[in-house]
Amino acid sequence: MAPRRNEAGPDEPTLRMPGDRTVRPNPLREGLRLERMAEPCTMVICGATGDLTERKLAPALYNTLLGGFLPPEFTVVGFARRDLTDEQFRQHLLDGINAHSRNRPAKPAIWESFARGIEYHRGEFDDPAAYVELAKRLDRIDRDRGTSGNRLFYLAVPPNLYPEIVQQLDRAGLAVSGAHRASGSKRGWTRVIVEKPFGYDLDSARTLNREIADVFDEDQVYRIDHYLGKETVQNLAVFRFGNGLFEPIWNRRYIDSVQITVAETVGVEGRGEFYDSTGALRDIVQNHGLQLMAMFAMEPPVEFAAEDLRDEKLKVLRAVKPMTADDVAANTIRGQYVSGWVEGERLPSYRDAPEVEPDSQTETFAALKLAIDSWRWAGVPFYLRTGKAMPSRVTEIAVQFKRAPLALFQRAGVPAVEPNVLAIRVQPDEGILLRFGAKVPGQGLQIRTVNMDFRYGSSFAVDSPDAYETLLLDAMIGDPSLFTRDDEVEQAWTILQPILAAWASGTGGPLHFYAAGTWGPPAADELLERDGRAWRRP
Amino acid sequence: MTAEHPPGRAHDPAHDEQAVHRRLMRFGEAESLATPMWEQRDTTVRAIAGHLSSLWDAPSAPAGSGAVVTEKGLPHARASVLNLIVTVVDSAAADRVVQTLLGLGVRHPSRALVLVPEHEAGEAPLDARISTHCHDAIGGGDRVCYEEVVLAVRGDAAAHLAGIVTPLLIHDLPTHVWWPGDPPFRDAVFEQLVELSDRVIVDTADFDDLLGGLRRLANLRRQSGVGDLAWERLSWWQELTAQFFDAPRFRRYLPNLSRLRIQYAVPAIASARHDEDDEVSPGVAAPMAQALLYAGWIATRLGWKRHRTLEPLSDGGFRLRLEGKHEMVDLLVEPVPTDDVRPGELLSVRLRSLGETGAAEFIIDRDGDDAMVATNADGMTALLRRVSMDTVREPELLSAQLTVDMLDRVYEDALRAAAILLASAREIAA
Repeated sequence: MAPRRNEAGPDEPTLRMPGDRTVRPNPLREGLRLERMAEPCTMVICGATGDLTERKLAPALYNTLLGGFLPPEFTVVGFARRDLTDEQFRQHLLDGINAHSRNRPAKPAIWESFARGIEYHRGEFDDPAAYVELAKRLDRIDRDRGTSGNRLFYLAVPPNLYPEIVQQLDRAGLAVSGAHRASGSKRGWTRVIVEKPFGYDLDSARTLNREIADVFDEDQVYRIDHYLGKETVQNLAVFRFGNGLFEPIWNRRYIDSVQITVAETVGVEGRGEFYDSTGALRDIVQNHGLQLMAMFAMEPPVEFAAEDLRDEKLKVLRAVKPMTADDVAANTIRGQYVSGWVEGERLPSYRDAPEVEPDSQTETFAALKLAIDSWRWAGVPFYLRTGKAMPSRVTEIAVQFKRAPLALFQRAGVPAVEPNVLAIRVQPDEGILLRFGAKVPGQGLQIRTVNMDFRYGSSFAVDSPDAYETLLLDAMIGDPSLFTRDDEVEQAWTILQPILAAWASGTGGPLHFYAAGTWGPPAADELLERDGRAWRRP
Repeated sequence: MTAEHPPGRAHDPAHDEQAVHRRLMRFGEAESLATPMWEQRDTTVRAIAGHLSSLWDAPSAPAGSGAVVTEKGLPHARASVLNLIVTVVDSAAADRVVQTLLGLGVRHPSRALVLVPEHEAGEAPLDARISTHCHDAIGGGDRVCYEEVVLAVRGDAAAHLAGIVTPLLIHDLPTHVWWPGDPPFRDAVFEQLVELSDRVIVDTADFDDLLGGLRRLANLRRQSGVGDLAWERLSWWQELTAQFFDAPRFRRYLPNLSRLRIQYAVPAIASARHDEDDEVSPGVAAPMAQALLYAGWIATRLGWKRHRTLEPLSDGGFRLRLEGKHEMVDLLVEPVPTDDVRPGELLSVRLRSLGETGAAEFIIDRDGDDAMVATNADGMTALLRRVSMDTVREPELLSAQLTVDMLDRVYEDALRAAAILLASAREIAA
């Protein structure tokens, strides 16, 4: 790895968390809801007039503000091409809050007070002058609003603009943390949030990572995979490592197989052009699917801290057995939906969707059988599937346990008891379900499978924060635990690269078709039937 | 209270129902599904336990609501997170408790046992009334159920409540005792309940003898966790106060604080009762409690020590001198007559500091449902903002207290300090 630009030299003060080394922690924070608070900072949203800002970022910021989690100095600068005044930009955010926030409409007095800290910076992303002006503006904000030189850049733009923007930030001296700045505040941090997709394949991901790494150190980069901000995913770690009950059976001795499902009911919904060049494998499996698998399968981290957590996830991804072209043909299924009925409405074929090529070979469904070659998981198949136009919207991880070693009740003429299943539902109806056999009351011996169903909603009837709220706050606090590291991204692409290559060349098996509103092509069922298993119907 | 008129029940059912509905709407809930009430006079603990367990046999369908199934064809899951025991002394308190619990059920699937002990022997030793309330959880899909058991206990049995309560608790769940009003610390029944609970929740603003109550509460801690609704009312003030000093450039003013002025609300007319739509609000016995706890919190977090009484307690206000890290600190606690907010609520907090670089003042001023929060420091642009300052209602306070850890060290420190501050303020006056 290249020498880190921001690494402290022998006579330089260290740059991480400036101020925190010399100033003691806030004694009044002890015992409050948040032991650590976001430091005062300016958040620069690049591409601030887009959909993401309106739908996700503005509501997330407002709800974080209402919760009392934003420091009073917090300032937003919207940076985009459109010619807007500060006032028009504020209205754009307010519209987003009033339309999409879980707390809406915005309270006028609170909003007005917050809006005073919102500015708009018009400029072209490839115009150096725009960044010079931006730098001046940020220096002024540091002086006027006390944001202490802390800056958070959010790249809410298409990924092809990332390289341009980070290079321009660099040239304007905006990419470095305080002590390296040529002008303005000599204190404070600089961080950048990057949205997925992180690349298109292994090469492009490496290129993108390198282009970002030329400008930012890895500890400045926060790659958002919003799945990781979901409460259930965070709870997966608590479930595994906070309870003594599950970890001892979390291995090949007790677990037969694992199924991970990420199913959507929608089609491509106006994203035809993007989706047709992406497909299910890149869109879902590369990030959400493999991250869920890694969180599920990782070893206990040394500490519940960002680097330890990400090291353990990386180890899982590295242990995934690489596929040969033959493996791809045998262990992967790709599908594309044709016209059918979903949730009572007719969905036209994928190829008939706007901006989709009429002979598109893009998969809208993918099913994989992966193997993790580790002591814990050797021999346990991990089945991943994801698809659009599925019968129901569900994300879950289901663990099938091995059968009892002896079919004790078979002798009494009872059919074999179904194996136990533990299902962890990520969405909707977040919760955990355990399936086991029980005796049917009465004379004789009959066994029936029953479910023990724990729902978060029925134990904690509270409004969970949206994933973006959690993640934005984490980025401001400087906790990258729930963000993806560069090596994780590249390792995930390494796993998928042979599949992408084989599918593209036609050696990876045919593209199957399935009717919208079904659980994928029959070939996906055969993938499991071959092993004597079946997909769950979640 | 007579057996013909079951305890804890509002006198006008129609009014009661409306009030409950309005309360639920505040939580953004559509409607609660209540089972028909099960009511039995002169009953036994075993009969009550039998009925409670029958409620769990048909978890998906509270009788009369029709079968409720999810899209997966699975019945709605029942879950419980705690037991709550509430003891009330009269019908007004019972009204307040039932109202509060209905709001609480939305947040905490639980079993609540409301005990109405009547020491004089009645015609029957034990009457019971059981109702179940289910709410669709926020976002839909799930259902949160809460059971309420109201027990009127008469005669000798009223002195042995633990034996009645224990078989009715859901096993293996934390048990909280909420004692609205002024708790009888030395009473045998109170001690029995403390014994079988994990945590006792009171409201120090309800204490008739504030100083004695604060001291006893601090001692109670040795037996059980302690929660305080007055402390919970302070949480937003604490958050706002802490935020002043999250920025390192302001944190350096903390050791140099030289003055803390706290203003709190007292009724404009001494006899006025603060009634807010349907809320049954008892008069506040000790409106100074919150201000004292706030002062105790700051003093213990910043390591201030008692030094001298400057102006002893009179009309609810006092002035003390404390010894801070670097400076002597003036602590002023002042009552302000107003009808705008509930008595006892804080109205204003001002922290003044004399740092090396000059003076700074940190201000939170309540203004109706909002607050102005300001930082004025020499040589820096004043920071001014408006934040939300909703009055938190009792169900939400209780709900928050039921969620926090059993032991709250920061509160216990503040509680002890509050008692010391109050004792100091009374010293010369006495």
